[in-house]
Amino acid sequence: MASNHGNTNSEPATNEQIITEFFAKSLHIILESRCPYVSSRNYSGEQVLSSPSSSSSSSSIFWPRDKWFNLALKDCSAALENIDFWRQSYLEPMVVDVVLVQRSSNWDPLNCSPKKALVRNLSSKERYYWNSENDEYRNEVMSEKIIERWVVEYESKKCSNIGGGGGGSGSKRWSSTSSHTLYKKSTLLLRSLYVTVRLLPAYKLFRDLISSAQIGMYNLGHRVSSFVEPFTHTEEAEMQRFVFTPVDTACGRLCLSVLYRSSISDVSSEPSTPMSPQFIPDYVGSPMADPLKTFPSGPLPQGSPSFSHLGRRHSWSYDLYKASPPSGIPSPSPSYSESHATFAKPHSYRLPPTGVTCHLPDETPQEHVKNTNYDEYSPSPNFSMSPSPSPPTYTPGIHISNALKRSESAPVSIPAIRASGIPPLFYNQMLPPSPPLRPSKSSLAKMDCRSTLLQAGSTVDKIFPFGKDEAGRLTGVKISSNSSPQKSISRSSSRLSFPDDYDESEFSGPFVVDEDDMTDPGSRMTI
Amino acid sequence: MNCEVCQLKELEVEHIEVREVLRCILHTILFHRALGLVRPKDVDLELFDITYVQCGDVEHEKKINEKIDHFIDRVEKHPNKKNQICLSFYEVKNKQATWFTNKVERHYWEQWYINLNTVQHPKTHSGKSHHPKVVVDPGETASEERNARRTALESSLREVLFQIIKFVNEKKDHVPPIPNLDGVSFPYEITISSSSDSAFGMDMLKRMLQTGHPTMLS
Repeated sequence: MASNHGNTNSEPATNEQIITEFFAKSLHIILESRCPYVSSRNYSGEQVLSSPSSSSSSSSIFWPRDKWFNLALKDCSAALENIDFWRQSYLEPMVVDVVLVQRSSNWDPLNCSPKKALVRNLSSKERYYWNSENDEYRNEVMSEKIIERWVVEYESKKCSNIGGGGGGSGSKRWSSTSSHTLYKKSTLLLRSLYVTVRLLPAYKLFRDLISSAQIGMYNLGHRVSSFVEPFTHTEEAEMQRFVFTPVDTACGRLCLSVLYRSSISDVSSEPSTPMSPQFIPDYVGSPMADPLKTFPSGPLPQGSPSFSHLGRRHSWSYDLYKASPPSGIPSPSPSYSESHATFAKPHSYRLPPTGVTCHLPDETPQEHVKNTNYDEYSPSPNFSMSPSPSPPTYTPGIHISNALKRSESAPVSIPAIRASGIPPLFYNQMLPPSPPLRPSKSSLAKMDCRSTLLQAGSTVDKIFPFGKDEAGRLTGVKISSNSSPQKSISRSSSRLSFPDDYDESEFSGPFVVDEDDMTDPGSRMTI
Repeated sequence: MNCEVCQLKELEVEHIEVREVLRCILHTILFHRALGLVRPKDVDLELFDITYVQCGDVEHEKKINEKIDHFIDRVEKHPNKKNQICLSFYEVKNKQATWFTNKVERHYWEQWYINLNTVQHPKTHSGKSHHPKVVVDPGETASEERNARRTALESSLREVLFQIIKFVNEKKDHVPPIPNLDGVSFPYEITISSSSDSAFGMDMLKRMLQTGHPTMLS
């Protein structure tokens, strides 16, 4: 392409943007089909009708974010709210856990006594799952099970340069096409992701949730984080793995994989650890009293300043949409994906990037693991935030406060102060813009609602005020910049930009090829 | 550029299942090759607990439905045969015809072979029970058999879909650059052949020879 001439200096920036948008798009695709809360508003705040089962093919409205990878998706506020961290640094893996929340009405006297004291200490949290009308512990127990774990990560490596050195015309030519190839392959990968999420068992649960008007025994939640506790051998043996073929770049490769439970019905029948009621601070009122209430992602801790450790994002989301008791969901058990599947293979999950030390936890009993996952949000007066990027060693049995050190930071309330910066234009190619970080009115309302429910949000904001870079983007998440400077990638000077009066009709698409010898539409398709 | 060929797993389908199975497979492939701007459309199969994805282009959906109708007509006339539907993507290399020929050269860069063994199972059992004392409801038995067979077909169909996903993921280099077109990016054609055709199998071989050294993926 003629526009490539003299633009090799910005090639890394282009690749960087593609990778960043890949993270955003993949998160959008995953949460769109796993987060039961279906936003009725589009990005600009206008209300639109969206069918959860199918999207209108006649709609001609495409938002700037739709242009990325040529894939227009339904609005998903959960994805938009959770991607900010990875827009700042894609070097951190993005782990998306899809959690099946089960409500059991069985009386469990064994669990009653230990929880009773906890119930009494909950005070304002008594409303969450414990009926405070009676002193006695009610039968309602919530438990969770991770049914899917998606991992999106960019494995960086020493940049390779065909031609034996930089500056040669041959290497420039090769590097100038790498962005196009990267974009094409990323587009293909995301197409596959879109299809795959609909073939996995969890999708059926999602569809049941959004189609059912009753509050029942199941819910779907999700967690987006950069640092998670690995599954135990037992847990991983119960799951199947599907690994998408990585997309190579000049300086690394994009990787996407999923661990999933092939049979959700087995999950529902397994005794799982009752979750701590402290885990869902979003919840207000009993489910039966307010069945239609939905909650945005990102529960905040109660006044704890400890969750912004390393500036890592972590958000939970639960929704009150009910899933009918899952019938036997046929296991996809794809013979071709089994080639990628690993069974009973311990998988130490993604360590922090180079330069950050981390100690893998020992195998822990399943119950303890679950408690850890959920108790990590509880305020811990013993926790002291470490300025070091190295999480402390995790030892089983140690108080949950240690789990806080190791885990990702609790979500911080995304303030409404978002700049409307548009990435700078990269040479003369009309790459689709990264969506501006201005919130819609609806998202503002949701954030306000969330901050009202979760007073810790404001506390966290005070301790970690948000700043902005030149493009007006939030950099508050990068609290870790002082501890892990290698992660602070400032891309404001090299990002693409678009004129404010972005005209979609003039958009020609990224990395497209206008070839005169392409078949005309009349002969394009011969059947 | 080599032509990548994917032979999908053979599926045994009844006539009433042909339409859904073909739509699911063809649209899944097309969606992976619709690299222009698309707004995906999720479609739930009626006979199977599967949701597949269309690229949302009404024109292409119509064309595919027409082709499937043609295939169903053919199957009904010649039941209990093995059929092969070939979805080929190509590039037009020589658009301008010369004065002595109007033939436009096509360079096929990818071919998908959908193998269907269409069968017509009897609805009821006609034979007597081997155990006269046992009352057997032939309708119920046939229904159970059909349900079991359909469950197996659904599992096989999922395998085929994952086969498509795997192939698309593993083979990316041969895909041409994304053209500046919405929806389905590349021209394609759908051809049908059955075991009764003399060209069955030979047609595939012919295409293989035309396109050089294809890579077979079974």
